[in-house]
Amino acid sequence: MGTNLFYFLVYPGFLFMAVIGGLLSWFDRKITARVQFRKGPPLLQPFYDFFKLLLVKETILPARGAKGLFLAAPVFAVFGATMAGVFILLPLLNITSGFHGDLIVIFYLLTIPSLSYVIGALSSGNPLAAVGASREMKLILSYELTFLLVMVGIIIKSGQSIDLYQIIHVQQSGVPFIGSVSGVLLFIVVIFCLQAKLALVPFDMPEAETEISDGIFIEYSGTPYAMIKLSKYILFFILPAFVMAILMNGTLLEGINILWAVLKLVAVVLLLTLIRNTNPRVKIKQAMRFFFVWMNLLVIIAIVLAILGL
Amino acid sequence: MVLEELKKTFSTEILGSETRNEQRVTLYIDPAALVSMSEHLFKELGFRFIIASALHTRRGFEIYYHFSYDSTGMILNLHVILDHEKPAIESLSNMFESTNWIEREMHELFGIDFLNHPNLEQLLSEGNWATGEYPYRKKFKSKGEAQA
Amino acid sequence: MGFKSYCFKKSLWLFHFGGASCNNCDIEILDCLTPRYDLERFGMLLVGSIRHADVLLVNGSINKKDKPRLLEIYEQAPKPVLVVAIGACGCTGGIFAEGYTFAGPVDKIIPVDAYIPGCPPKPEAILAGIVKLLGKN
Repeated sequence: MGTNLFYFLVYPGFLFMAVIGGLLSWFDRKITARVQFRKGPPLLQPFYDFFKLLLVKETILPARGAKGLFLAAPVFAVFGATMAGVFILLPLLNITSGFHGDLIVIFYLLTIPSLSYVIGALSSGNPLAAVGASREMKLILSYELTFLLVMVGIIIKSGQSIDLYQIIHVQQSGVPFIGSVSGVLLFIVVIFCLQAKLALVPFDMPEAETEISDGIFIEYSGTPYAMIKLSKYILFFILPAFVMAILMNGTLLEGINILWAVLKLVAVVLLLTLIRNTNPRVKIKQAMRFFFVWMNLLVIIAIVLAILGL
Repeated sequence: MVLEELKKTFSTEILGSETRNEQRVTLYIDPAALVSMSEHLFKELGFRFIIASALHTRRGFEIYYHFSYDSTGMILNLHVILDHEKPAIESLSNMFESTNWIEREMHELFGIDFLNHPNLEQLLSEGNWATGEYPYRKKFKSKGEAQA
Repeated sequence: MGFKSYCFKKSLWLFHFGGASCNNCDIEILDCLTPRYDLERFGMLLVGSIRHADVLLVNGSINKKDKPRLLEIYEQAPKPVLVVAIGACGCTGGIFAEGYTFAGPVDKIIPVDAYIPGCPPKPEAILAGIVKLLGKN
């Protein structure tokens, strides 16, 4: 019982993920600034933002709309992100526990943050938030199917096992999945799914900043907004770690391999940031067509190649 | 070349010059020579006055007067430095109409006194808002960084 | 200086409200956010919603139609919030002060913490004003 609580709360649980997520968020802002020929914020900037929102600003509840659900939605988001994160990081850091690393459980837990943003936006009673929530729902419909098909591809390649420990073991005793043709196609598709899940440009139309004045988060202020920012930091860490686990050979925590693990994580985050800085925002219709037609086509080709053994 | 000829005519008043390229030249001059040099530039050489800009730095109050030579597109700047305590310089409004409002704005925001100006009252603010306090002045510590 | 006010000063989020102005001050405020005068190195961001804002930048003279909207925006901002009046029109009404629709400069409507005069103030002047505001409290 004590070790389980330690796993959930400290390492590799809530505290570890929050700190690393904040540092990766700083990395994203600094690379964005450098690409635009300017200096960026100092190192602890995401933590200053979080503590300012948590301790200094007051919380205002909207007059119309469901107040209880409005305050509960960010708590669900943090909870979902933390649970999914713990279940991803336990196999990745090779810690044995009672959990068997089920891929389906991780997939379902990862949908909780996105759905709780939608619930929070709809319970705030603001028409602009309703527009943002409808866009987020359409986006969820588009990328979830593709994400599920990527999981199917991974399950086929790892010899029909849904156990994350097993998937990492198969890669480390053989070739990492990204070294094969179907693996490269799956990697491309999963990077786009991550852009949509994290609401980064080109898929950030739910939280469009100037178009619908911050969209789904328009009514949040103070402590609930700090919780939402925290869930975003945690997601920004665990989703690239998930990609590392299913496609890029996991991590081995001894010697020089620690450096390789850090570099792999930073490379995936760098790819997300560079795509974010060089693209405009697309409309929701174009995003849906992109995921339903083109990305699904790529995934189906990758699954066929995986069945054929390539 | 315009620069060589000016240096010969006003050899005592020009304290230095900087040529960034053919089109941008800056002359650092003595404040007392401003009116005579501007008159020479305008009446004899055909320069046109554009605008003036002021700064408050560690060396004092600096004013740049920008003149343009329209046939070649060259811009010549005259740069004066006034001291910290009582900055004062001769006004150019008796020669150019356009410096009237520019000097009123500089007086309102920095507190620079323009001698013989026809109408030195505040231009931008209404009523007696912040008269006597010049908002763009900075406080410098004796050595070290500037405290704005 | 406690931990809370340190975090507050290191991360100020700006929200811009434009009154009935000639829009030159809007252009100069936009200049401050471009890469040349980069404000993000101080931790400042421009946000789209007043509920996320810590500093309310008001420029332009305030009309009779703008006055209830400015009061509404000020009440929607979560306290503590700092108000900065930018430009000669924001500070005193400027050249619009004697018109028949003028409803008072900004400090007759909401409490103001810093004034940045100028017509329009250069981005360096806006930055100097914001640094003075940070140093004061």
